[in-house]
Amino acid sequence: MRKYLILLFILCFTFINCEKDDICIETTTPKLIVVFYNNDIPATKKAVTSLTVSADTLGNLYENKSLDSIAIPLDLTKNSTFYKFKSGTITDSINFTYDRKDVFVSRSCGYKTIFENFKIESRTANWIKNDTLKNTTIDNETAAHLSIFH
Amino acid sequence: MKQQLTLVFFISFFVSATIAAQQKADTVTTKEIYGLRVGVDLIKPFISFLEEDTKGLELVGDIRILNNYYAAVELGFEDKVSKEDYMNYTTKGSYIKAGVNYNAYKNWVGMTNEIYIGMRYGFSIFNQTLNSYTPNVKGTYFIPTEVLPNTEFKDLSAHWGELVFGMKAETLKNLYLGFSFSFKKMINTKEPENFKNLYVPGFNRVYLNNTGFGINYTLSYLIPIVKKEK
Repeated sequence: MRKYLILLFILCFTFINCEKDDICIETTTPKLIVVFYNNDIPATKKAVTSLTVSADTLGNLYENKSLDSIAIPLDLTKNSTFYKFKSGTITDSINFTYDRKDVFVSRSCGYKTIFENFKIESRTANWIKNDTLKNTTIDNETAAHLSIFH
Repeated sequence: MKQQLTLVFFISFFVSATIAAQQKADTVTTKEIYGLRVGVDLIKPFISFLEEDTKGLELVGDIRILNNYYAAVELGFEDKVSKEDYMNYTTKGSYIKAGVNYNAYKNWVGMTNEIYIGMRYGFSIFNQTLNSYTPNVKGTYFIPTEVLPNTEFKDLSAHWGELVFGMKAETLKNLYLGFSFSFKKMINTKEPENFKNLYVPGFNRVYLNNTGFGINYTLSYLIPIVKKEK
């Protein structure tokens, strides 16, 4: 009886050694996923041949890349982010506005920020012909949030 | 065959009866102390001394109820700041643990040392204060700033069960030094909104599958109440 109890006790401790919550593996603050579509055939994706993306005052996030989808971070210190999208030599700028909400994730990840009431406040129309916002809440990166037609 | 077994069964009664009778004649009567043992945990004050933003105290007590069984109780309070990678929070509250220890150690006559296995039910009432956090962002394009919400989550509670393994040794007359190790499993908690009970007074750090463990190092004094003949 005593031996079994001690054995049971040792078993319990082997279990607690197996688990780990020191490393953040959950998804955290989502980025805005933008997908580029062909304006003439709206169902098909169309890569921007020479795309340069940068936020207002910061350096280039993408530089002269040929891409049909991008993931861009949003500013967590204010409720708007101003982005410049450059296709070749033509520049279009979009001002995104949103409300920020901090959501608890886990011990190791801490808090993530999700974006609500997300909308395009203003946009220029030089090479971007149209846009469609899929969702006003950005809380994951599993699907595209914004479609840009060009 | 059946008859023979019945016979053996009855004979065994007589044999045991005669052995018992002999033992009675041989045994020297010894007195065993039954009393209340009160003490203090030494680890908590030690940690309080080392870490300036951690305070804690735990009082322990047990009473011998049967030959090898002790009813045990622990009372404590904690005020502790925990620092994680992306946040900093304070846990403040008190707790009570009650249960039974079974002494599995066969003492020599007159000695009262213990190697025991025990079970506890734990209950804690506490507050959590989220002092600061930095939103977790992968990448360094926009650098997030630290937020200081100072949100206090009040009237939180937790219930849990414990399995205890420990030992106690009488070092001076009626003065015991004890060491114990406990494995804990959360039964139920009242969780704060948009935060989590990552640390619970008495339970310590809450691991992912709601388990925890603790170490106690106690100094206790036995107040003798009754001496029973063995």
